[in-house]
Amino acid sequence: MTFRDLIATATGNLWRMKLRSVLTFSGIVIAIAAFVAMLSFGAGMQRNIAEQFEKLGLLSVIQVYPKNTQETDSSTVAELNNAALEYIEKIPGVELVYPFESLDLGIKLGDSEKTVSAQALPSKAVETKLFSNLVAGELFSADSSREILISEDILEKLGIKSADSILNKPVIISIKLAKIDSGVVSMLRPLSDIIQTRRREMQSDTIRFVEYAQNAIREELGGALNRFIDGFMKNRETKAETLLVCGVFNSRRNGRLRLKDLILPVETAREFSSSGFTGDPTEILAGLQAGNLFVANTDSPIKDYSQATVMMEPNALYEPIRDSIEAAGFRTFSFAEQFKEIRQFFRYFNLALGLIGIIALMTASLGIINTMIMSITERRREIGIWMSLGADMNDIRRLFLVESGLIGLIGAIGGVIFGYLISRVGSLVAKTFMENEGVPPMEIFHIPIWLVLTALLFGVLVSLLAGYYPANRAAKIDPVVSLRNE
Amino acid sequence: MNKPWLYTDNVCRFYQRKTAVVKAVDSVSLSIECGDFISLIGSSGSGKSTMLNLLAGLDRPTSGDIFFEDKSFSNMDRQQLSSYRANKVGMVFQAFNLVPHLTALMNVELALYFNGTPKSKRQFLSEQMLSQLGIADRSDHRPADLSGGEQQRVAIARALVKSPDILFADEPTGNLDEKNTNDIMALLSELNKQGLTIIMVTHDLTLANNVSNKIMQMHYGQIVDQERKPNDLS
Ligand SMILES: Nc1ncnc2c1ncn2[C@@H]1O[C@H](COP(=O)(O)OP(=O)(O)OP(=O)(O)O)[C@@H](O)[C@H]1O
Ligand SMILES: [Mg+2]
Repeated sequence: MTFRDLIATATGNLWRMKLRSVLTFSGIVIAIAAFVAMLSFGAGMQRNIAEQFEKLGLLSVIQVYPKNTQETDSSTVAELNNAALEYIEKIPGVELVYPFESLDLGIKLGDSEKTVSAQALPSKAVETKLFSNLVAGELFSADSSREILISEDILEKLGIKSADSILNKPVIISIKLAKIDSGVVSMLRPLSDIIQTRRREMQSDTIRFVEYAQNAIREELGGALNRFIDGFMKNRETKAETLLVCGVFNSRRNGRLRLKDLILPVETAREFSSSGFTGDPTEILAGLQAGNLFVANTDSPIKDYSQATVMMEPNALYEPIRDSIEAAGFRTFSFAEQFKEIRQFFRYFNLALGLIGIIALMTASLGIINTMIMSITERRREIGIWMSLGADMNDIRRLFLVESGLIGLIGAIGGVIFGYLISRVGSLVAKTFMENEGVPPMEIFHIPIWLVLTALLFGVLVSLLAGYYPANRAAKIDPVVSLRNE
Repeated sequence: MNKPWLYTDNVCRFYQRKTAVVKAVDSVSLSIECGDFISLIGSSGSGKSTMLNLLAGLDRPTSGDIFFEDKSFSNMDRQQLSSYRANKVGMVFQAFNLVPHLTALMNVELALYFNGTPKSKRQFLSEQMLSQLGIADRSDHRPADLSGGEQQRVAIARALVKSPDILFADEPTGNLDEKNTNDIMALLSELNKQGLTIIMVTHDLTLANNVSNKIMQMHYGQIVDQERKPNDLS
């Protein structure tokens, strides 16, 4: 018996038992539809996250941090300074490295003034996908351009409604800087009075002079240092520059990546940071350590950063770059790493959803088994006739396998279509809901081709499996018994 | 000595009942030559139908063996017996055994599914066979819409359509009137002359005498009388 004959006969049999076939199909349709709808949700969520990562270029960025002292077993901690950045930049696959430098700046636009934290970025870094969705305007073109990027948040705080209205407008950016001079002046000013007082005290008790003088000097040095820092902080000078707003960005869209409210080109930012010390007193200590306390330019190779960003070349492999950086003694963080975990999570998530679908499919397969056994019982005589005409066991077995396989295939096709419809309806409901909640609507269902193929394959496979036992039963029918007169 | 074409060697078919053993066929040794037209007679329950099933390879003997063209049935598996039925054997059942949901034509065509007849030829051959049996105008009727005689003729058409080497016919004219009986007997005689071997169960002794060259009588599962008719061996 040819396969074509088998298909034709099986189709005829299913057609003849329309109601029963439809009921059996329905079981499969519902199971496959559930399977498709659930997995398309998983796939949709996964795609959304992947797209989000992809859009922001998060997958090509590695954050580098110095290690804590506790974290290293070696006695020296690798410092994240310019020399380290140069080293990292030379790792194959690294396109760009820039340190994370933050400044507290004043921004003045018309009458409103605010203090914001700002960040310096090289123009190359700004050209990445991270800024691909500027709300308005353009990126700054060079590291020394006298332009700034400003976040939507700050615009709001400054009371500006339209992002476009601020483009190419000048803003006054200012920083309070302390000069070492002012600190020294405050330290020295009261000194003559103090010396007079001390001298008088010393004359009255000369026996314990050495001990007394030691204490006095210790006290006075402590006081002097206090006054130095006080003077340093209180007498800060304001340095102001007028810059043009070239673009407005949305800082909230960038997820966990640190972005400050104001982005300055690196060279321009240096004018603020290099002309003195900012509000951070620890910089003085750093300066003391480095031996350049009285040097105006703090852009020395000794300066440590708390964080640096490494951008990989497109198509560069993440792992070797990470390993090289970590081998140099730094900590890294990357969304590529996170993304791997997310993918892992979705693998389990999909597996769980798929399992539910498979359970539904199992239930439906019981329907197939039932239908097949019923139709075999009804067709015992027909099977006997087939055998008397020369059909062998394989023909009979194949006929029933083809019948159950067809139920599975048609049911699975119906199920995919039905599952697609469910996902459309679900998507519509979800989008309406998201719109009402003020969330930008997104597509939460996605039916990739592999899902369609898997669903069809599963439908047919499970049905064949369900048909296997009944088909074998049919093949074992004794024709003489089934053909006996009733 | 030349071995016969189809023969049995002490073939038995017993049925195990609760208390007793039913010996439907009991130690039968018969031989059939190619070209024979044999009539199998005997009272009801004497084992005629069982004998036909055994010879057709549809039933397996309890003991003994059957040989066709020197091949032993006991050495053949189900597959090989199926192929023997598909290619060599035509069967007409006492109860017709037509597939109820298929039309007369499709019932006849069904016999051609298993012997490799190409799809294109099946309908033509089947229609031709039905018209030879005088029921061409009933070809798209289902068995339930046909009279007993018509059903019987469809069953005969189905058995003959694949041009078998042997025809096992279990009372093929039991439901037919005299005219139809004569027509069909004429057809069978003609086919027999062309080389078809026929084993036919009948209760009609005159008919048996008229058409067959050998008459075998069964009684309680045994062949009790074998009558050869030399006048027919012209
Ligand atoms: N499956 C079975 N189980 C038990 N007994 C059976 C079975 N099949 C047949 N028999 C018995 O075997 C004997 C022979 O039956 P068979 O059908 O061969 O008779 P027959 O000669 O064809 O009779 P009829 O002329 O009435 O058709 C009968 O007694 C019958 O009851
Ligand atoms: Mg009988």
